Amino acid sequence: MKPRSLRRRHPLVTYPLLFLISFIGLLPFYWMLSCSFKMNEKMFLMPLQWFPNPINWSAYGDAWKAQNFTRYFLNTAFVAIAITLGNLLLASLAGYSLSKFRYFGRGVLFLLILSTMMLPLEVTMVPLFLIVKKFGWPNTYEGLIVPFLVEGFGVFLMRQYLQSIPNELIEAARIDGASELRIFAQIVMPLCKPALAALGVFTFREAWDMYIWPLIIVTKDSLRTLPLGISLFMSSFGTAWDQLMAVAAIGTLPMVLLFFFLQRSFIQGITVTGLKE
Amino acid sequence: MRLGASVSTKSRSLWKPFRLNIAAKQALFAYVILLPTLAIIFIFRFLPMLQAFYISLTEYDLIRPPRFIWFANFIDLVQDPLFLNSARVSITYVVFSCAPVWVLSLALAMLFDREIRAKNFFRSAAFMPVVMPAVVNAVVWTFMYHQDGVVNTILGWFGLDPIPWLRSSRWALWAVIVIGIWRATPYYMIIFLAGLQAIPQKYYEAAQIDGANRWGQFRHITLPLLKPTMLLVMVISVIVAMKVFAVPLIMTGGGPADSTRVLPLFIYQTAFEFFKMGRAAAMSVFLFAAVMIFTVFQIRLFSRGEDR
Repeated sequence: MKPRSLRRRHPLVTYPLLFLISFIGLLPFYWMLSCSFKMNEKMFLMPLQWFPNPINWSAYGDAWKAQNFTRYFLNTAFVAIAITLGNLLLASLAGYSLSKFRYFGRGVLFLLILSTMMLPLEVTMVPLFLIVKKFGWPNTYEGLIVPFLVEGFGVFLMRQYLQSIPNELIEAARIDGASELRIFAQIVMPLCKPALAALGVFTFREAWDMYIWPLIIVTKDSLRTLPLGISLFMSSFGTAWDQLMAVAAIGTLPMVLLFFFLQRSFIQGITVTGLKE
Repeated sequence: MRLGASVSTKSRSLWKPFRLNIAAKQALFAYVILLPTLAIIFIFRFLPMLQAFYISLTEYDLIRPPRFIWFANFIDLVQDPLFLNSARVSITYVVFSCAPVWVLSLALAMLFDREIRAKNFFRSAAFMPVVMPAVVNAVVWTFMYHQDGVVNTILGWFGLDPIPWLRSSRWALWAVIVIGIWRATPYYMIIFLAGLQAIPQKYYEAAQIDGANRWGQFRHITLPLLKPTMLLVMVISVIVAMKVFAVPLIMTGGGPADSTRVLPLFIYQTAFEFFKMGRAAAMSVFLFAAVMIFTVFQIRLFSRGEDR
């Protein structure tokens, strides 16, 4: 028996197709990198330069100095890490509660949390802004972080995963006299590592990408995130393409690293958005 | 919480009347650990949702207190050519960015669901659009769509004339749609790939023994068994497409001539550039209704097919 290979391959069709797909997938990434090293006056030279010649090393430094990018980068990193940690903790606590305990209202509460997955920020942005404003949180890290500390998707993911963990493990720990909190921290959490990794990478990516919300509540330069900084740079230095591409490349770098080092979790995080109840 | 810490035999103590039984104690613990999630979901999701309905019935500019005006916002909106145009742009975007994605992502998944040399390289390359942040995409594609940019150069290889992508109201929306397809396809490919790999191989073997050709196998095994995945991809992709925001805002700001002003962008501009909160909230209600209707409609469509 030959698994999978039954679906016969036609190498002469498959590989040209794969190269075409790779070309389309990589083109913007390659173009961004190569043009960040190109002389600005050669950007639109006909025929186009596919490889920068001569190589321009100054775009990265110049762009970084033109605006407060170090600050933007650190802001984004801080906000994204805080949101990720919050989601990991709260979603696993909630998922644990919803999967391993029986209590009044459990089903309804789970459905309520789940239903927020269909409630996009784009629908609620106006009142959410008003609420956050009432808390006095515009232009604060709280305002950027707290509303996103937990998402319906994360709770759903952790609940599904935790259901596959045998109750006997938890019961045995209870009989040994472990406190509930300790059971959660020392027995349940370690078993959840794959799910936590997937959720963590997924959340970090979303948080790194966040644009509409910072755009609404941040007006102070010291709180700008990288996406805001990049779009601002584009509107104020619209013709310095080499520098713009350099900034864009730096904004992409953490995601590329994440992808290459945690590829499995990265892909799993997306696979599970396709989970069905 | 310490009260019922043990259920040992020494339990006949003074504490007894206050002791919670084990089940109640565990339920209490379960409520407590769920509480932070409930609080955040309630304050930052449900409260805004309810408030959106209320604000949509008011006139509110953030300075003077909201003035209740019943359904005036909604009545204005359905007569407002700008809003109707924006709704039309959004619908065009959703239809023409989602339909190709469904086909392409499934095709791509089937392409990758086989033995390939250097699979990891090809898959990573195809996956690059998902790795790049949305704002970076918008910036890089703006550059690529330049009149003398790389997209027009490639069109030139095939003898096509350059297209003034972002400067023409005829092409700008299509430029945005291309990015949407480019970015969404690998994402849903991953979901389809998981769905494909969950189909037991023996079904295909049995079909081959029965002499089914490849199309027959696809039509009678792959498609029916992939239906739950397809439904899910359809729902998620439509909702994601309805939310498109960063790319049109950065690339065109909604122009030229309003041709890329999708609904979320129009909501944002109405609220935070023109400070008409009530009107923006009324638009949100429309967007919310659209998300709901689409979701319900698609689930219906698929479950009806299952009855046959």
